[in-house]
Amino acid sequence: MSPVNCQLQACTRRHFLHNTGTGIGSIALSSLLGHSANRTAAASEHSLQPHFTPRTKNIIYLHMAGSPPQHELFDYKPKLVEHHLQPCPQSLLENQRFAFIKGHPNLLGTPYQFSPQGQSGTLVSELLPHFGKMIDKVAVIKSMHTDQFNHAPAQLLLYTGSPRFGHASMGAWATYGLGSENQNLPGFVVLTSGGTDPSGGKSLWGSGFLPSVHQGVQCRTEGAPILYANNPKGMNRATRRRSLDALRDLNERQFKQFGDPETESRIEQYELAYRMQIAVPEVMDIRQEPQHIHELYNADPQSSSFANNCLLARRLVEQGVRFVQLFDWGWDIHGTAKSNDIVHHLPEKCKQVDQPIAALIKDLDQRGLLDETLIVWSGEFGRTSMNEERNGSKFLGRDHHPHCFSMWMAGGGIKGGISYGETDELGFFITENQIEVHDLQATILHLLGFDPFRFQYSFQGLNHRLIGPEGNATIQHGLIA
Amino acid sequence: MTPFLSHPFSTFRHLRPLLLTGLFYITIASFAFAGIEAADNIPDPPVDYLKEVRPILARHCLSCHGADAAKRKAKLRLDGPDPMAVSIKRSTPVIVPGNPESSGLYQRVTSEKDSQRMPPPDTENNPLQAEEILVLKNWIQQGAPYAAHWSFTMLTRPKLPSTKKNSWPINPIDHFVLARLEQNGLTPSASADSYTLIRRVSLDLRGLPPSPEEVATFINDTASGSYSRMVDRFLADPAFGERWAGMWLDLARYADSSGYGSDPLRTIWAFRDWVIDAFNQNLSFDQFTVQQLAGDLLENPSTPQMVATAFHRNTMTNTEGGTDDEEFRIAAVKDRVDTTLQVWMGLTMGCAKCHDHKYDPISQKEYYQFFAFFNQTADADHSDERPLLKLAEETVLEKDRLIEEQLTKLREQLKEAAEEDQEALKKQIEQAEKTKPDIPTVPIMKELPSDQLRSTTILVRGSFMDKGAEVTTDVPQAFHPLAPDTPSNRLGIGQWLMDPANPLTARVTANRFWAQLFGSGIVETEEDFGTQGELPSHPQLLDWIASELIESKWNIKSLLRLIVTSATYRQTSRLSSDLLTVDPRNRLFTRGPRFRLKAEMVRDQALALSGLLSRKMHGPSVFPPQPPGLWRAAFNGDRTWHTSQGPDRYRRGLYTFWRRTVPYPSMATFDAPSREICNIRRIRTNTPLQAFVTLNDPVYVEAAQALARRIVRNGGETPEQRAHFALQLCLTRPPEAKQIKILIELYESEKAFYETDPDAAQQMATNPLGPLPTGMKKEELASWTVVSNVLLNLDEILTKR
Repeated sequence: MSPVNCQLQACTRRHFLHNTGTGIGSIALSSLLGHSANRTAAASEHSLQPHFTPRTKNIIYLHMAGSPPQHELFDYKPKLVEHHLQPCPQSLLENQRFAFIKGHPNLLGTPYQFSPQGQSGTLVSELLPHFGKMIDKVAVIKSMHTDQFNHAPAQLLLYTGSPRFGHASMGAWATYGLGSENQNLPGFVVLTSGGTDPSGGKSLWGSGFLPSVHQGVQCRTEGAPILYANNPKGMNRATRRRSLDALRDLNERQFKQFGDPETESRIEQYELAYRMQIAVPEVMDIRQEPQHIHELYNADPQSSSFANNCLLARRLVEQGVRFVQLFDWGWDIHGTAKSNDIVHHLPEKCKQVDQPIAALIKDLDQRGLLDETLIVWSGEFGRTSMNEERNGSKFLGRDHHPHCFSMWMAGGGIKGGISYGETDELGFFITENQIEVHDLQATILHLLGFDPFRFQYSFQGLNHRLIGPEGNATIQHGLIA
Repeated sequence: MTPFLSHPFSTFRHLRPLLLTGLFYITIASFAFAGIEAADNIPDPPVDYLKEVRPILARHCLSCHGADAAKRKAKLRLDGPDPMAVSIKRSTPVIVPGNPESSGLYQRVTSEKDSQRMPPPDTENNPLQAEEILVLKNWIQQGAPYAAHWSFTMLTRPKLPSTKKNSWPINPIDHFVLARLEQNGLTPSASADSYTLIRRVSLDLRGLPPSPEEVATFINDTASGSYSRMVDRFLADPAFGERWAGMWLDLARYADSSGYGSDPLRTIWAFRDWVIDAFNQNLSFDQFTVQQLAGDLLENPSTPQMVATAFHRNTMTNTEGGTDDEEFRIAAVKDRVDTTLQVWMGLTMGCAKCHDHKYDPISQKEYYQFFAFFNQTADADHSDERPLLKLAEETVLEKDRLIEEQLTKLREQLKEAAEEDQEALKKQIEQAEKTKPDIPTVPIMKELPSDQLRSTTILVRGSFMDKGAEVTTDVPQAFHPLAPDTPSNRLGIGQWLMDPANPLTARVTANRFWAQLFGSGIVETEEDFGTQGELPSHPQLLDWIASELIESKWNIKSLLRLIVTSATYRQTSRLSSDLLTVDPRNRLFTRGPRFRLKAEMVRDQALALSGLLSRKMHGPSVFPPQPPGLWRAAFNGDRTWHTSQGPDRYRRGLYTFWRRTVPYPSMATFDAPSREICNIRRIRTNTPLQAFVTLNDPVYVEAAQALARRIVRNGGETPEQRAHFALQLCLTRPPEAKQIKILIELYESEKAFYETDPDAAQQMATNPLGPLPTGMKKEELASWTVVSNVLLNLDEILTKR
């Protein structure tokens, strides 16, 4: 069966993970079951196959929520430096809408130095010294384009292909298409840092119209990693086992009498939950990593941080989790205060992510996992070439800008050591190799082995696709090794 | 049958006269062949256009040769009764009835040449499979009969089919179901036993399990008509309105927050209460509809009629900094259009925002004509959600008005006051503000004054900045026109939806209630009655119920009574390997409904069985326990979940505070939607995360602890008596010896353990429920809590059966 034609009936009984049917419960029950419809359903629901050989098995998406300023990190514009705080040319402002800029803004030159890095000589900001050393593994894209310039809609567009609510997220599509490789862990895990969830909320990892089993599971780094995974206070694992045995005995009687395959499936889910109670805390426990790995990432098991989440991301993909989504809060560099400006706040944020990201690339590479793991780094849109100066603020900052932004990808079939696309000399518009959000999604699906045009799901009378209904997305072969 | 080419291309509106003159019998006739394949092998069975041909065309052809004029290639249109073609060689008609080889359509799909073959190999459309080509061939061979889409044809009340086993049917529903079963050589299942039935009806009609007293009353009522009396008792219970409001609130996308980035909290619970009351008062569905869409436009609208209009104020408001209010006002109006058509007519119009609908007969222009009806309200993505209605007694409102006047005066004075007087004035203002009564509000719909009406244009590619041609209000051509003298506003739309000529409203509504009871609709795609949706499993049954609904003057309680008193509904849900083979998904209704309870019912049932449930109705949403730290919305949104104390901790799930970006986790795990947009159907899943909720969520642990106390208090003295009591209470039926034995064994093993670990026993028995009642032993309670935890997780408990 092609992925296009998965019918709801099969999906309603679609199990949480890819390889159910091998659990303890199902072995015990297989003799009872004989040849029921459940077998057929189970077989068809696992038969989604990629359209062609995948270039990547897993994805780690690092999202800098709020959107980092490209001019400070990857898209160096000497002309802006030259005309720092001089009025922006009128021609650029015509027919433009801004979120906060009022009146006639001034251009803003970056206060940071750039230098060529690695053999490829890609220009990288001094704010990212560790990352610069990994640049030959990375494809930097300077020509990303979106049509949304408010956070929530832009993030929704990026993750679900639509700026409106109700669509399935990229990770949900990936697990819908490929399942998970580990039967004791969710296939799509979300980790957040910075103390705040991204503006788009849970919809960014929601399943939309896909069955809800495909939604991302937000794992917490404090307390129980998955909500309600811990037994109640006063109940130890032995009691839980005995209670589950009793539950299974009673449910098996029910199954014998009423023959509902759903009962059998429920027994399996309880056994799976029991195994997850061990498997999830184990994979989430970074204390098990040696000291040198903690140092590599600058991770600290005592607190939660983006660095810890990068290390967790590696542990998760190593265990076969298909899609790991990280959100880090604090990149909305408006410059309305010291706490969100370019001079004081941005270097802090960069310091928090620079070393862990470089470590993640290096660590995956050393373990031979980088070839099968795609790392994507981005915000949701770009930032203006002009200083925002909201209410006359003296702090430097940039407003939202949809016309161009920078991102990068590494590993999983991506060509390393390249810089792709260009913007004009003021970094306002794209001049070469414009990539739309739907193009990015098409490229990612392509790397996962799916034809983005045919990878669709029929719901409410429409064939939904991650790349949207227009079907004018382009796979960016220039980025692919 | 009407040949494909026999009459000129017509819109559906033009087809109506044909229908009335009886030429259009094919729609009904063709359904006779629907469903399970006949066992006997007739060569080349008649091809059913709607079931077989249309899906192939829709899947492979209509994206380029369908209703969307902009995307249409070669000026060829294949979705109507007469394919229009000009660019294919004139010597080759698209279809020659009876002769596939001479038909352009068949030639092109079978061509060996890549340049000729359809669909083109490099497009998004998949190539045709051999069996699909065969269907097209046979269809043309048989004269290429065409049928209008079933749900767009006028509703007529079908006659009851004749059946053999005439002792079985209780009401007309059963005749349709039985006829279909007999057609397939099947027989219905036996009736379920009384215990099963009272639990089924109780959960279905009011979302709660029956109490032991209610069970006793029913079992002891041996006079005839006891079943109907039981049904009537549940229909009259105020819990009825709560249960059905739960369904409607998904459609209304009701939530206690405004959505988007910071997702600020919103006060709109008065609308939820209106829905509960409407169901309890059995407000007729046409009034229910009109009041929600246009209560403000009725003559001298009452307060409840105004509150009803909050239905369409459940759209999201974007308060994120730097957003354009007009952009999100328009997004809200589009949402109202989409929701209206989806809820009442089962049509998905979303795509027509940007282009003509590819499959259903709605053009982009028609979308914005419909949009124009909704484009005249005063709300405009304001962060204060105005216009609001204050809800209080007239005397309180009067007091509020007086204080407001006083405040206005004082503030004026403050502006002009000398510096030495300012302090005193500020104090006065503060005082006055304190005396202002705390009045709940609800956002409402309010039509703009006639001199401020907006003009409506097509929005090119749906963008609010790219305005196309101006349009005026109208309904899509494919459907019945507005009745004469219908007002050109939302009230007119309400009337148009409830017009008996509307082919969809009654079908969609009847199907929705049916689906709630049976687990899936007669049309499985409840959300899509358009050409891409599933066909009905029992078209005549659906039409009969829909007609009945209209004739009953849209009486919802009588619709539900009709369904739950049918023999079809009362069948046992027991499966056998035979049934699983012939009717795996119960599409033929070979047995009674059986499926997992919805999120709210899972919660309410646990609380009811434990005795904790509060039956308090109405009022502001409540905050039952949830893990700390979940509210972390962006941009300083409200972050504190103020856990409710007292009875509010144990209210029905429908009263739980519903924040869109962070839905209540246990509910979301059981497939409740986030309600950012209208959600027609919850897709049921079965996952280990659900097991975590009912095993470990403190809400369910607390319920298990309370159930344990109930068992020890009321269940007799011995473990046997108590296990018997517990099973009888939870399962609503006399338990089996083996079940009792399993529970006693668990009880004994845990008691042995907790006697060695008093601290664990203390925790298990009291955290979070509270101190041990006097005279109860913690080891005993802890052990019964473990047992209760098992009971509340039984498949038999989580399933409506």
